[in-house]
Amino acid sequence: MGTDFSEPKRQSAAGVAVMFADHLQRSIRVLVFPIILLLVRAKGMNHWYLIAGFLVFLFILIIYSYLSYLRFSFFLDEEKQEFVIQKGVLSKEHISIRLDKIQQVNINQSLIQRIIGVYSLDIDTAGSDKKEASIKAIDHHTATILRERLLNRDTPDPTAEKSTDEQRLKSEPLLKLSTSTLFKVGLTSNYGASVALLMGFIFAIMEMLKNYTEAFQLEENPIKALSTEGLNMISIGVLLFFALLIVLGTNILRNFIKYFDFEVIKKKAVLAITSGLFEKKHTLLKPARVQISSYSQNYFQKKLDLMNMKFKQASFDAADEDDKDNKKHDIEIPGCDENERDELLKMIFECIPQKESTFIPNYRFLFLTIMLKVVIPIAFFLLIGWVLPHLRPYFWWIIPYAILVVIMLYFEFAHHRLYLSEDFIIKKSGIWDVEHQLMEPHKIQGITTKQYFWHKKANIGHLVLHTAAGTIHFKYGNYADIHRMANYWLYYIESGKKDWM
Amino acid sequence: MQDFTNETLDIDALPKYEEVVLNAISRKYWRVALLNIAIFLLILAAAIGMVLFFVEGFRPYLYVTTGIYLLFSILLIALYRTSIKRIGYAIREKDLIYKSGIISISTSIIPFTRIQHITLNEGIFSRMFQLGSLHVFTAGGISGSITIPGLDINMAKAIKEELNRQLAKVD
Repeated sequence: MGTDFSEPKRQSAAGVAVMFADHLQRSIRVLVFPIILLLVRAKGMNHWYLIAGFLVFLFILIIYSYLSYLRFSFFLDEEKQEFVIQKGVLSKEHISIRLDKIQQVNINQSLIQRIIGVYSLDIDTAGSDKKEASIKAIDHHTATILRERLLNRDTPDPTAEKSTDEQRLKSEPLLKLSTSTLFKVGLTSNYGASVALLMGFIFAIMEMLKNYTEAFQLEENPIKALSTEGLNMISIGVLLFFALLIVLGTNILRNFIKYFDFEVIKKKAVLAITSGLFEKKHTLLKPARVQISSYSQNYFQKKLDLMNMKFKQASFDAADEDDKDNKKHDIEIPGCDENERDELLKMIFECIPQKESTFIPNYRFLFLTIMLKVVIPIAFFLLIGWVLPHLRPYFWWIIPYAILVVIMLYFEFAHHRLYLSEDFIIKKSGIWDVEHQLMEPHKIQGITTKQYFWHKKANIGHLVLHTAAGTIHFKYGNYADIHRMANYWLYYIESGKKDWM
Repeated sequence: MQDFTNETLDIDALPKYEEVVLNAISRKYWRVALLNIAIFLLILAAAIGMVLFFVEGFRPYLYVTTGIYLLFSILLIALYRTSIKRIGYAIREKDLIYKSGIISISTSIIPFTRIQHITLNEGIFSRMFQLGSLHVFTAGGISGSITIPGLDINMAKAIKEELNRQLAKVD
């Protein structure tokens, strides 16, 4: 394939194989249960029929894959500034994407693509434009050039492309994760996800064991024995130790698979990020497209000078979610130190955001949350215990619960801060993982201020900043301050010419 | 409390969104709301009536149920009344302000430069009273958008046109 994209082009010839694998995988996923049923039911049937049927099925798939390869074409319409993809065997699909709507172009490689030696190019668009496009088989050279053309939109210049390619080879990575850093990251982050994974696994095994013992009517049921005899302290300790070991192990393993060979390279005005052990991921990040940048750190990570960074981009689905991660649009940097963070922030913002003035929530922040999360649940529990006497021996649980939750709420309160400077908004929050979210005022889509009627006298209110990548909340602030901020940001947005994307 | 000062700009001299005089929505919207509440209450009454009719055990509680139902109806109507009274909107030179809420009073502001698109909706009851609701969308998703209900249809059309004109000017 050449580098001229103005004429409709097909994918690499190897695309047939990729499409075949893709279709095969998809049809197996759909047909796996009917096939198993057929195999079980058709015991008496001649096996040759089955094999013949399977071969016919494969043949049809091959033809279908070939046809979809033939029908798939893409080109760059320079005049309309659009990227066009045409595809579809039975029904024709015509996707055109305006270049200025393209947020991100990723070059990825799955296992199959790795074996064949091709890449896929996925185009990510912003806003309500839900159509997303991907090219399943393309060689690396073409993919990188196409990506550059899609993102930069400047006139093609073969020599420049060559030099950027060379530049890429020469330029020092801005950030490179070493094995030891990955190890540290695995040790100190994402406990929640790994614990959930492990719990699911343990429950599945327990269930299986139960079914197994019931099916064979075993008298010795290890699970039952455990639950009837009760566990002594030592075995609980051993069990906890192993659980911890497994959680940390899975954490480390997951991190290695996902972030192996993680590299951030600065290329002109964009950041190129590559990572992955089995599936290689290449992502280009344009600083102007980032809506919210954040870094987070927990106690252990602070001791190790390690933090996790995230760059949130505009997406229609993410805008409504508060703190939930939108993995597809988020770009994550699993581990970096303070210097590297500052380097990255400089890339995004052209300077390091400073905390010039601090805003602290009112103590009433604790009031309502303690009411909701401590007083009401305990009152409810006592009420139920009053009705059901056999719950009474468990009343002492209230004390550790109350202490733990109050401590957590206190930390939440202590970490809830808003820092402002002329051109930046920094919001700090979190209980264990303390996160700083950074944004520029011109990324604001809308501002909402809220006040409960009983807070009128105390002059307390809440602030919500809506962005295209989610919202930022500041709760229980001085309402007069919040008004001033809102007025300033409105002035900033409405008098400035800066676009949010 | 510290201030984020800026040598050339006095923040207190900036236009204050919180002091803008807001417009109320059309009075006829109250009738639309009443119709909606009436339909809801009728369905609820029918459901309760069915339970009372078919389940004999509930019959002794007839008066209690009716009492609770009436209380609930009055409360609902009163809540709607105040919430409609609290709704206010204003269009400034460069942004749109919308205020609403009973327990938590919230004010949202959307600068014209951040508006993605605007739609005008007319429900069945709204159409009976020549009303419409205006939806102003931003890239901030549903939470970042504003819906102004109960606007006089001609007024709503005029606002929509005006906003679209502003959008075109911005581009």
